[in-house]
Amino acid sequence: MPTLTSMAVRNLLRARRRSLLSGGTMALGTAALVLGNGLADGIARQLTANLVAVQTGHLQVVARPGDFEPQNSPFDAYSPLRLPGAQALARRLEALPGVVRTAALLYGRGTAMAGGRSSMASIIGIEPEREPELRAAHHLQAGTFLSATGRAGGEPEVFLASPLAQKLRVGVGDAVSFVVQTPEGAVNSLDGVVVGVFQKGAPWYDHALYLSLGPAQDLFAWPGDATSIKITIEGGGQAAARQARPSIQALVRQTPLPGLDPDQRVLVETFPEAGRFAFSIMEANRGALLVLSSFLLAAAAVGIVNSMLMSVHERTREIGTIRALGMRRSAVVRLFVLEGLVLGTAAAGLGILAGGAAVLHYAAYGIPMNNTSLTWMAGGDRLFTVLTGASLARTAATIVALSILAAVYPAWVASRLEPREALHHV
Amino acid sequence: MSNLLACLLLAMAPDAAAIVKRADRAVLGETTTYTVRMTVQRPGKRDRVVEMRGFKKGDEQGLVRYTTPPKERGTAYLRSGENTWLYLPSAAKVVRVGAKQNFGGGDFSNGDIFRLSLIKDYDPTLLGEEAMSGEACFKLELRAKNRSVAYDRVLYWVRTDGSFFPVRAEYYTISGKRLKWLSLGEVGKLGGRLRPTVLAMENALEAGAKTELRFLAIEDEAKLDDRLFTPSALEKGE
Repeated sequence: MPTLTSMAVRNLLRARRRSLLSGGTMALGTAALVLGNGLADGIARQLTANLVAVQTGHLQVVARPGDFEPQNSPFDAYSPLRLPGAQALARRLEALPGVVRTAALLYGRGTAMAGGRSSMASIIGIEPEREPELRAAHHLQAGTFLSATGRAGGEPEVFLASPLAQKLRVGVGDAVSFVVQTPEGAVNSLDGVVVGVFQKGAPWYDHALYLSLGPAQDLFAWPGDATSIKITIEGGGQAAARQARPSIQALVRQTPLPGLDPDQRVLVETFPEAGRFAFSIMEANRGALLVLSSFLLAAAAVGIVNSMLMSVHERTREIGTIRALGMRRSAVVRLFVLEGLVLGTAAAGLGILAGGAAVLHYAAYGIPMNNTSLTWMAGGDRLFTVLTGASLARTAATIVALSILAAVYPAWVASRLEPREALHHV
Repeated sequence: MSNLLACLLLAMAPDAAAIVKRADRAVLGETTTYTVRMTVQRPGKRDRVVEMRGFKKGDEQGLVRYTTPPKERGTAYLRSGENTWLYLPSAAKVVRVGAKQNFGGGDFSNGDIFRLSLIKDYDPTLLGEEAMSGEACFKLELRAKNRSVAYDRVLYWVRTDGSFFPVRAEYYTISGKRLKWLSLGEVGKLGGRLRPTVLAMENALEAGAKTELRFLAIEDEAKLDDRLFTPSALEKGE
């Protein structure tokens, strides 16, 4: 076998130009795959991190209509329905083992107005001191995040998205008012003061603003209530969320929720269930990458087959000689498959180096998402790629396996050559 | 002495509920058909003018159909009980809409247009008398009977001269912010009797925005079939 390997290497080195061309194609394909995986992993990480930090936690308790059908919207995770006694329930859930933190959240829609200008707005009431991940997920453009009390000199604090601030022409320290229709039907309003402006990038947050939960409850006339409870669990991740769900569900079922509409049900949703929109984007990206990779790999495989068939043709006399000297057909097959393996391994190594370097570069500096479609896809106005060992190993294994498979047919052709005829080949 | 006189006059005045009941019928009668022109004014934009034919039966049923401009002709709103529907001829579909959504892109909400009875939704209190728009008026405070009513509080000025014509209404949110205000004026004879013919609504959401409803014709005591006020009739354009 060591003899065959050295022969394979020598054969590849003898036809340097051809080996370089077919190996280079494979290396480029590998680099493209590594970069593609880095992009897809980056999108998945950004969308998931954003979903967990901003909307759902690892699990969320939420009231849904009995006939709830997700609309595949970025706001599917939020529910506008009242979860009675949400704040008290959140504190009880926090006592469960494995639960790191809980935070009640109140989501509603209304009109924001300032200085005679108005705009539709997504109004989100939060418990600021319990939302460190949410805070970190919003790039502060001016001012500060909401304080623990959520009030500045008695006035409710408002932390709003930059596009909304621009539309209302307000900045830090300016007054802003909200008008909403309460779930019961009455119209209510609230005056607040802007303490911070954030840049989120994701276009569905262009009209979002945060208030402390207390003022939001006053605005929607729901004291003590909210629309969901975000639960952060130890370890995070989908498996941990699924594992933690039964105990949370049990406690929710034991807790009376007076005032809950009989047509509604209270659900404990893991973040992939709650954030179907984000996960559908991830699936679409993975699907697109798979299709692209298939074409890329098919083209590379055709290149290898072609190159090795040429090699067989050029080395017909040589094959005839080694066959006449006693080399068995199976050894000829092994020789050519080994050539494919050596070529594939070298190409995979080079491709991983080049692709990995590109992924690391974009992981550090990000790729600007310059239009709305791209920001929707990436969940932000910059995409930071991700390099994982698993992804590299998967790509390398795919390329090497493909190289071996692509070498099988030329190897079989070479092995079928009769020594007598091969020696007469010109 | 003057205080005593004021108290006596106030004691002689009709009670708050009676004033509101009379004011409820000041513009439109119990069962009415009418033609109205709606002008939506927005700062820096051309006025949008729509003419409509309206039908009202009791305090529960109302229907409004656009007659001009031609491209909006056939658009119709229906209110029956607590429900409001919109018919868009371009989509040929009847869709349910909220009472608090704005009516025809103006400053009135669907509920404002079809608010068929204030006395049904509010408990009135007579606060006293006050001049408003040059008229001597009763000043009333109306408090919503429950939290499903759009405006928690309404300040209402109604003429004291026996006509019970409303002059102004101000609508407040639960937290006490004045959200909208309605002026009623240009008293004229329509349908055989005097009544305010122009209603102008302004709101705090957009400075300089205003929507005016100008009644062009009114016929009280019209005979209207209940079948007119159904979503299927709305779709058929009956």
